[in-house]
Amino acid sequence: MKPMRTSALLFTGLLVLITACQPSGQASGDPDDLLAAIQAAGVIRVATDPAYPPQSELLSDGTYQGFDIDVAERIGEELGVTVEYITPDFSEVVAGGWAGRWDISVGSVTVTAEREGVLDFTGAYYYTPAQMAATTASGITTLDGLAGMTICVGEQTTYQFWLEGTLELVGSPEPTAVPEGAQVTTFSTDTECADAIASGRTDFEGWLTSSTTLANAIANDAAFVSVGDPVFYEALAVATDKAGPAHAGLQAELDRIIAEMHSDGSLTALSEQWFDGLDLTTVE
Amino acid sequence: MIEAVGMRPALFEQIERAEAASRRWFRAKFALVWVVIMAALFAAFAATDNLDADFVTEWSPYILGGAGITVLVSVLSIALATVLALIGAIGRLSRRAVPYGVASFYVSLVRGTPLLVQIYIIFFSLPQISPLLILPAIAGGVLALGFNYGAYMTEIFRAGIQAVPRGQTEAARALGMPENLIFRRIVLPQAIRIVTPAIGNDFISMIKDSALVSTIGVQEVLWRAENAGRPTLHTLEAFIIAGLVYWGLTIVFSFVQERLEKRMARGDR
Repeated sequence: MKPMRTSALLFTGLLVLITACQPSGQASGDPDDLLAAIQAAGVIRVATDPAYPPQSELLSDGTYQGFDIDVAERIGEELGVTVEYITPDFSEVVAGGWAGRWDISVGSVTVTAEREGVLDFTGAYYYTPAQMAATTASGITTLDGLAGMTICVGEQTTYQFWLEGTLELVGSPEPTAVPEGAQVTTFSTDTECADAIASGRTDFEGWLTSSTTLANAIANDAAFVSVGDPVFYEALAVATDKAGPAHAGLQAELDRIIAEMHSDGSLTALSEQWFDGLDLTTVE
Repeated sequence: MIEAVGMRPALFEQIERAEAASRRWFRAKFALVWVVIMAALFAAFAATDNLDADFVTEWSPYILGGAGITVLVSVLSIALATVLALIGAIGRLSRRAVPYGVASFYVSLVRGTPLLVQIYIIFFSLPQISPLLILPAIAGGVLALGFNYGAYMTEIFRAGIQAVPRGQTEAARALGMPENLIFRRIVLPQAIRIVTPAIGNDFISMIKDSALVSTIGVQEVLWRAENAGRPTLHTLEAFIIAGLVYWGLTIVFSFVQERLEKRMARGDR
């Protein structure tokens, strides 16, 4: 019976410890205004993908590089804060409800009607063609050749939605028709499809991803060939969480920065640097 | 003792030296066997011609750097688990229904669900209930691991407490010590000494289970290996490096534990 007192003591101690260890997070600023909180903390937390070159990738010294990274760095500069990169799964980012774990996403997120329900998007910062590819092993060279075949995509990407017929783009031209009877298989991110083929798996014949990612993979000896014309074009934008702290101020600032980057040519320069000389910052 | 056995000191020394020599030979041959096995495995991998030495030299420091976080998470988790196990053991030893019921529920529930599910619930699902329950990745991971291991260690602690000789408690009572003091000053210290090897084992086990927190974004060894290997299509090298790091950590800490146990056992001679 008396050991219970020790037990109670320990329990209280534990509770005190846990509450004391609660992160104060961005609490030093006004909690109702995300922009003020970010500037008070001096850090903006940006969600990025550590394995999505040439948009963003992790380097062996723990830093990141890529088109999205450079855009994020510029945003940080303009806001007068340093950038901290958080690496959640893509499906977490596009589902909204970030629980305050990061502030914005600069991760090549396509603007779709469904996503607009949970995320607030800025103006598009670039557009990518969605390019179909086939494994060299399959010998397929046309879009029709993929009828009835299995196509690999990243989870919760617009590529998956297009294949499943649920894609609702906003601010982009109409997509082409899906190859008949195409099956879908997913991995948590696009580049895992290339990795699977590289490790000898043969459960799919096609890969649908952005043309930039595909070009980068092929340049790194991924065993794929580009097939047909781009199947759709998508507008990509910086996103904030609708369910997060009040961010009207931050949203306005982000829009302003993106617009400035378009007009002063820095987005074009970055695009040409990372996407092999292509300027993807305007609609085709 | 030598005189008691009736042996000549010189002969005794000779026997000791011979035994030490044969032990050394054994250890040398043992080490040689390990070296041969590892060399054979390495040769087999290298022969496939699919391993990239440049990748290994470039990314090993980064992956190795995750070991610090792995150890940090493990240490914090085992500390939490120890406290929870102690509370749980007291509950399980209680003769009152409420503490016994609560402790049994904790043990059954946590041992009955997968650790990975628990990690996901604590990190992803708790914020759904209330924004106050949002934890950063490391804290969430430590909480999940500690909570999980606490349930397994509860039974170990209970056995440890029960293993303290009854005579200790009886003698303390005879001296008029209050029950609470008996537990804290007499039973608990001895119980802790009994369960220390088990805590050590669980700590080593924890180091490997800590790999699971890579799923919630803690940038420890496995996370780093995954994110080094995937985009460069070198996952084999990356995961081999990760495996070796965990293996190395396990060997180091097993050694430390052995030393610790020898030290603690000194008082028993």
